[in-house]
Amino acid sequence: MVYISSWDEFAERSIQLFRADPQSTRYVMKYRHCDGKLVLKVADNRECLKFKTDQAQDAKKMEKLNNVFFTLMVRGPDADITEVSGKEQTEAQPTKKGRGRKQ
Amino acid sequence: MGFCCFRVTELVLLQPDPFLNELTAMYGRSTENGSVWVTFKRSSMKSKAKRNKLGADALEFRCLVRATDGKKTISTLISAKDQQKFQSSYATVLKAHMHALKKRERKDKKKAAEVNKKEEKAPKKSRSSTKVTA
Repeated sequence: MVYISSWDEFAERSIQLFRADPQSTRYVMKYRHCDGKLVLKVADNRECLKFKTDQAQDAKKMEKLNNVFFTLMVRGPDADITEVSGKEQTEAQPTKKGRGRKQ
Repeated sequence: MGFCCFRVTELVLLQPDPFLNELTAMYGRSTENGSVWVTFKRSSMKSKAKRNKLGADALEFRCLVRATDGKKTISTLISAKDQQKFQSSYATVLKAHMHALKKRERKDKKKAAEVNKKEEKAPKKSRSSTKVTA
């Protein structure tokens, strides 16, 4: 299986893969510190999706996907993931205008 | 629980918090060489025979999280109750250890000067937004 180069495509297809077969789909994150490489893999025994990166910004995207998969795997394939996947965007909006750090 | 019976390498099933401690140690040990794999899987922790016997409706699913560095394997089960807490603690562990990845600014030094000005604000935004969501 070749690596998928677009993050959005990878994220979308991996969620589809899980929903199609929740019991055999797993999500693997491999991190190699000495090479500074991160590989994500989603597979269901038939299909395998992979994404490779060395960029720190992709780690942030991965964090969101982690949360999506946590939600899907704990609450079931029909769980509502709009909150987990869309929350950051809707909440990031007001902070743009905000007065610096909110704490 | 007879995990050791059918596995060559021992799969240690831990509570979420000890798991995170052990994962932190694993990342600490693998900085100079080696990789760490973390797997998420939806699992009922029942054998196939038992699954068929019980039927799909009677099964209780949780999220099995496994981590290995190639020598040792640890695992934990996350239920709906633990999810929020584990999710954020796990993200914290990752953030603390994934610092070998490249930052965007370093890509091109000439361009970086221009891009930096625009991007200087961007990290702040994302930082403050993660604080809000956390």
